Amino acid sequence: MPSKVTARKPEEKPKSAKAQGKAPEKPSKVQQRAASSSESDEEEAEQQDSEDEEASESGASDEEEEEGSSGSEDDEEEEDVDDEGMEKLMNALGEDGLDDFDREQLRALTGDEDEESQEGSEGEEDEEAESGEDTDAEEQEDDEEADEKEQAEGDEPLIPVDELSDEEALDEDAMPRQKVEIDNKIAMERIRSTIALDPSLPWTETLTVTYPESIDVDVEDDLNRELAFYKQALHGAQTARSLAQKHNFPFTRPADYFAEMVKSDAHMERIRQRLLDESAGLKRAEEKRKEREGKKFGKQVQLEKIKERQQSKKEIEERLKGLKRKRKGALDGATGDDEDFDVAVEDALADRPSKRAKGPNGKAKLPRQARDKKYGFGGAGRRSKQNTKDSTDSFVQRGGPSGRGGKGGGRGGKAAKAKRPGKSRRMAQRSKS
Amino acid sequence: MASLLKEQKVKAAKADVKGKGKRKADDMEVDQHEQAPTTKKPRNKQRVLMLSSRGINHRMRHLMNDLEALLPHVKKDSKLDSKNHLNLLPELADLNNCNNTLYFEARRHEDLYLWAAKTPNGPSIKMHVQNIHTMDELKMTGNCLKGSRGILSFAKEFDDTEWGKLTKEVFTHIFGVPPQARKAKPFVDHILTFSIVDNKIWFRNFQIIEKDPLQPNGPPQMSLVEIGPRFVLTPIRIFEGAFNGATVYSNPEFVTPTAVRSALKREKGDKYGHRKHAQAERSIRKDRRKLAEDELAVSKVFA
Repeated sequence: MPSKVTARKPEEKPKSAKAQGKAPEKPSKVQQRAASSSESDEEEAEQQDSEDEEASESGASDEEEEEGSSGSEDDEEEEDVDDEGMEKLMNALGEDGLDDFDREQLRALTGDEDEESQEGSEGEEDEEAESGEDTDAEEQEDDEEADEKEQAEGDEPLIPVDELSDEEALDEDAMPRQKVEIDNKIAMERIRSTIALDPSLPWTETLTVTYPESIDVDVEDDLNRELAFYKQALHGAQTARSLAQKHNFPFTRPADYFAEMVKSDAHMERIRQRLLDESAGLKRAEEKRKEREGKKFGKQVQLEKIKERQQSKKEIEERLKGLKRKRKGALDGATGDDEDFDVAVEDALADRPSKRAKGPNGKAKLPRQARDKKYGFGGAGRRSKQNTKDSTDSFVQRGGPSGRGGKGGGRGGKAAKAKRPGKSRRMAQRSKS
Repeated sequence: MASLLKEQKVKAAKADVKGKGKRKADDMEVDQHEQAPTTKKPRNKQRVLMLSSRGINHRMRHLMNDLEALLPHVKKDSKLDSKNHLNLLPELADLNNCNNTLYFEARRHEDLYLWAAKTPNGPSIKMHVQNIHTMDELKMTGNCLKGSRGILSFAKEFDDTEWGKLTKEVFTHIFGVPPQARKAKPFVDHILTFSIVDNKIWFRNFQIIEKDPLQPNGPPQMSLVEIGPRFVLTPIRIFEGAFNGATVYSNPEFVTPTAVRSALKREKGDKYGHRKHAQAERSIRKDRRKLAEDELAVSKVFA
């Protein structure tokens, strides 16, 4: 049984709404008429304005009359009236629902086709008006439909039916469904004139500026679009500042004026933190990237070095081989030119064998003068080996550390070097100290 | 039930204050400067009632809070219970001594509509709000005094069309902070811009920085930093009255967000339908391709 009830619901709604259906239809026609007959002068419009007020009051009573059929007298609870009526209807149908349902269906199918077609078209138009008004054509679920119609009733002024001619209504019924563009410039101008601020108001009352250039950017292009808005704002700010100067109006906030801000300090701190984080993140990413590249590069360098080493090893071996081949006969002879051979080997091992002038470190030999300066020249002469009074008096053994000067040379130095004590002694010393 | 209670209350209150309330509203009314004594300087007196319907989500709520913070002449009211009784709004505004109303209407918890209305006798503009970014977003780094009066910058396109002019006038009333607003601060440090691109109204809010923070002693170079919020308004309709009255403008280009969504869904559904259809067709073709049993079939020959 409940399923049947729900099935009947949509069937029924239009019927209950039909009585009210006429009301929302009217304003839409009026609107369209207003749109089409744009030459209606302002006086008429104002008259209509006053009429509207009356009409809204008289219309309210009309509404009640219409709703009286659905059975309620409460003025204020329009919504409940409908629900109550619905409930009553449901109850009435509930007892012998099937028959009624069938009857209704039959009637809908055969009985009054004219009415139905009219009803349908009316419904369509209602929908149209509503879709325009509420802009949610899809919202018209069956349950809400009645409510929305009521809203349309409430929102729009009611005009007596007498004003509408039937031919017009029929014509509009025949019209295909499409979005009606309304642009009633005269009405808008009149409205604007009623609400406009006094033009004698000084600029400081409104602080409004207009951007003289038109914005022509691609909507999808975020960057340029925002740039255009920025430019507009900047222009506005600059003109406003000059205007403020002209009007002697305080514009700039002094540095010592503190007051509550729109965004709290905590929020601003968060913004700052985020900016810092962002820049730190950028830096980190950059560093990472560099490191990664360095790693790649470092590996290459290492490989190159290894290759080079191998290459040089090979070269040296080859050179040595060549030397051996060259010197084969000489080696067999084993004459006294060993030194020559050594030099040749050294040459072969060296990178650039031809340049002998270079020292072992690859540095050029210092000139004579510099060498004299560095290492000393001449020096103590032959008398240095003669005994002096001091040397005779001292009983230090010859070859001791102090016997000869620092310049003494190899033997003295070597002997002077203290012998490293044994391990046990060293450990003992360490523990002592 | 709550809505009924509210309604009754409003009505009762209205009945009570009939005399006084009316007078107050008239005093406040800007349109009636002619009647005011000529000795008084003309003043821009505006107060805006801001409220929303039920069912707004956090983003919409934050947007409302942002606007409230920016506009000191706004009076915020509790959510309106019913979406079908917008005729209550002028009375509510009257009770709050407001002559403008910003009503945020949320539908299905995702679509936001904004009604900007002059309350006693209209007009009212209904707009669809999209692309909401609130001040809470950390990308908007600007800041300004709470309650400082912002400059309003309108694009040139507003003056090209009649509806644009009307919208500009209404926005001037609603978003322009009157100098006498109680909480208004005496300096100007931000600018609200309204631009029309693609037949939509784009709202931005910038902080005005007059000195370069990097060169405090250099020449004053004005720059801007965005404070937020930002949103885009698509005008839908303009009505003659406050939340009622004849339509004087309707935007033919407006497509409801639900229509967009349903089209998308239908497309998706179509995909499924096509697939199913193809499957069915394939099975039919497969059946048709089956050959009748041959007379020399193995099963017949070796029965």
